[in-house]
Amino acid sequence: MTTTRRDFLKWSGVGALGTVVFVGCGIPEEELLIQSPATMPENMVSGLEAWYATSCAQCGAGEGVIVRIIEGRAIKIEGNTDHPVSRGKTSVRCQAGLQALYNPDRVDGPMKRTGERGSGDFMPITWNQALDELTAGLQSQDPSSVTMITDPMRGTLGKIAKRFMNGYGGSHMALESMENTVLRRVSRELFQQDQLPVFEIEKADYVLNFGADFLSTWLSPVQYSRAYGQFRQGRNHRGTLVQLEPRMSMTAANADKWHYLNPGTEGTVALSIAYVLMSDSADRLDPAAVDAMTGGAGAQALSAFAPESVAGNTGLSAEYIRKIAHDLAASQHSLVIGGGSAAAHTNGLASMKAIYSLNFLLDSINKDGGIKFNPSSPLSEEDAASDVAAFADWEDLRNRMSGGQVGALLVHGANPAYTLESIDFAAAANGVGTIVSFASFMDETAALADLILPDHTYLESWGDDVPNPGPGYQVVTFQQPVVFPFHQEGGRGTRAFGDVLLDLARRLGGTGFNLPWPTMKDAVRASAQELQGLNRGSVRAADFEAFWISALQRGGWWDESFKGDQPAVSPPSLAELAANPDFSGGMGEYPFYLIPFQSNSITDGRGANLPWLQAAPDPMTTATWETWVEINQRRADELDIKEGDILDIQSPSGTIRALAYPTPAAHPDVLSIPTGLGHTHYGNYKIGPDLSRTLVAKDRGSNVMSIVSPLKDGQTNALAWSATRVRISKTGEWVRLPKFEGAVPPQFPDGLFPLYGRGDATH
Amino acid sequence: MRNTSPIVFIAASIIALGGLGVTAVVAFFVLNAWFGVSVLAQAPDQPIDFPHTVHAGTVEEGGIGLDCTFCHRNVTDGAAATVPSVQQCMFCHSQITGTTAQAEREIAKLTAASEAGDPINWKRVHRLPDHVEFVHDAHIRYFAEQNGVEASAVCSTCHGDVASMTKVKQVRALKMGDCVDCHREYSAPTDCTICHR
Repeated sequence: MTTTRRDFLKWSGVGALGTVVFVGCGIPEEELLIQSPATMPENMVSGLEAWYATSCAQCGAGEGVIVRIIEGRAIKIEGNTDHPVSRGKTSVRCQAGLQALYNPDRVDGPMKRTGERGSGDFMPITWNQALDELTAGLQSQDPSSVTMITDPMRGTLGKIAKRFMNGYGGSHMALESMENTVLRRVSRELFQQDQLPVFEIEKADYVLNFGADFLSTWLSPVQYSRAYGQFRQGRNHRGTLVQLEPRMSMTAANADKWHYLNPGTEGTVALSIAYVLMSDSADRLDPAAVDAMTGGAGAQALSAFAPESVAGNTGLSAEYIRKIAHDLAASQHSLVIGGGSAAAHTNGLASMKAIYSLNFLLDSINKDGGIKFNPSSPLSEEDAASDVAAFADWEDLRNRMSGGQVGALLVHGANPAYTLESIDFAAAANGVGTIVSFASFMDETAALADLILPDHTYLESWGDDVPNPGPGYQVVTFQQPVVFPFHQEGGRGTRAFGDVLLDLARRLGGTGFNLPWPTMKDAVRASAQELQGLNRGSVRAADFEAFWISALQRGGWWDESFKGDQPAVSPPSLAELAANPDFSGGMGEYPFYLIPFQSNSITDGRGANLPWLQAAPDPMTTATWETWVEINQRRADELDIKEGDILDIQSPSGTIRALAYPTPAAHPDVLSIPTGLGHTHYGNYKIGPDLSRTLVAKDRGSNVMSIVSPLKDGQTNALAWSATRVRISKTGEWVRLPKFEGAVPPQFPDGLFPLYGRGDATH
Repeated sequence: MRNTSPIVFIAASIIALGGLGVTAVVAFFVLNAWFGVSVLAQAPDQPIDFPHTVHAGTVEEGGIGLDCTFCHRNVTDGAAATVPSVQQCMFCHSQITGTTAQAEREIAKLTAASEAGDPINWKRVHRLPDHVEFVHDAHIRYFAEQNGVEASAVCSTCHGDVASMTKVKQVRALKMGDCVDCHREYSAPTDCTICHR
């Protein structure tokens, strides 16, 4: 019997219909069950949700979030409407926190290395064994050779870590991958502030922004995005935003006008604007500031920065520089901010000071719609910024490590083996006696460790946070465990870093550490008691328990009326701020500037193990899952580069691969590459029918920071991560760049067939 | 039919009748599922033979006369009636271990679950589709306040006399027509979004 085409279709149809009828009508097994939970506390009811307020630790902004809990499981994270930083909003990074909690790659209990260092061979041990070993190890070391590396920790945990290392006699360094060292130094030297200032975008009429991607990743993006909404639509007139930046960032794309300038010339442009302001709009300026900043000489002091003289160097036209200056002067509330790549040059501090100095001229300091200041933290001993080590300190540590002078490293919340790949931190780790990691996930540093003592995730632990930058008044965010720890197998499981430190201090002999609290929760309660003692702010109570419960319920404590003393600040001398940038590699050999930028979702790489963040499209390119390089369309055409071509990006310090993304909105001499991928560990779990592929971070994309040359800002020793020059070469390979954009009209490289709809018979 | 032998004719008739029979059976199940309580969906076997007669039946009938809300605690407060936790069963059953051999056997299953910290996966008897939201407390409040009926008497409006069932089964269709009829009878809103939200 032969089967005709018609028969085949008929029977396929019947088969498909049958499948639909008999499978589609079925009800999944689990829906036919109703479960009696083993235990059910009274406040936990089947079918009833509960929302708990806590603090988000996915990025450094200290946002307050609320978490939806059903029957003891965290289901959804949203912004806390009460909280002054988040005001009910969240970022994509906050939302993905659930995937950190339920991550299949979490280290589920203490581990001890069995194979070679870095081999990834570990055996599970109990907490008692782990703590015994660590105590013995710390007792046998020379304390001065022990260094603790953490993320910049604020609040009570920062206090505990600091006291622990002081008591023990070791040192503590906080690692920030895209350093804000320069900005903090500006804040300290121009404004005499330890806390970062407040930028009142929502009340400004005209904002000039040098390179700060404040709508995406810069400092406190949720806070700034809300302010930006007010700035645009919350009043009866619409503010104007002008962005000067080599790359078109998300903030640049939102601006009224984006103009690229040559990397490193931001300070020069700022001084040129100052010159125009002083020569053309002297009435608008603060005369005292003009005198102080020019030594009484006025515009003459900056005559070398006349727009006509700097135009060629900066890549901006003289008319445009004049127009910006005139618009700044014509607006009542003008604000000038800078950050991101503008600060990441060898002249970073000078440039940033020049940029922020414009606010003195425009009389925008301590004024509405200008720069205001945050009061100091209401908690004692709260100064995380002072622990943040500049890049030069890390180079120094690397040298001591490879020289065998470091007895032990304790690493928590930071991943130096990845972040400091450009200075071969991982190789230097071979010279270290003992490496102890407190990571929740197997990242590059944990893989090198001799002992892993996994921390809870933030949704399972106690803590508090003092957002920096704050909203202009004192805020403390409380962090409470919203679920029971996911891993709590007998004797193993995860344990909060704070609790482990307190326990270690007791094992090491106690008294010298000044850590009187039995647990982290007690320590956080002690901090809350300090706040209760102030008897002001959003939560006040005579009884501590009442204060504690209300503060936890609201997600924190804040005092909108307490703005602190607004300092009398003195403007700097402008002429001293002229400085030219240096770049690694010669212009002839390395024709492009390399501008790394923080990925909107993965940021510096810490989000790379979460599938939601990998799959969240970049706001500018809509690309996902890969490392791409943004290149000017015309330059790409000249070099015959098409989207998806795999390029080798070579700097004097190394080579990485990235997929080409030609775009008309790019500086012709700049290549921009997102940070965060190129992990060798972190996100190891396998997918696919034969478990052959890793889903998330491992072996995906490239780490752009690994080819950044170790140039530093001369004055702050911060890494000048925008000061690297690169060249490109085609590898000849091509893959489709995974992205959402460009479906209509489809564009394909020659020789490749579209799936449908091209109507082009010649293919 | 000229060239057809009688055997083929008879065979064809049987096949045709058989087809008719299959169609009738399928039609019965479809219509039954569409309009009423499916004959397949009644009184499933439960992991523990829990007798509502003993717990909720009146003292005269040999039960102990517990109110429905004694165990289904959330029914007057929220959308879900909720089944009690194992811990809650053990409030009584840590002391009451059964008077008959069968009761002892079944209560032992409960004790074992409690000691192991395991949940009990009951078979669901009443199930509404995902696109329907039924809120228990609103219905109970309405009948209790309007008609002065006790909460446990309200339950039987839809669930039947559960107190007399050794094995719980569904007694009403609980299809949309059923809901709408009742809503009309009591002048309750019949907007789509009342239930479909």
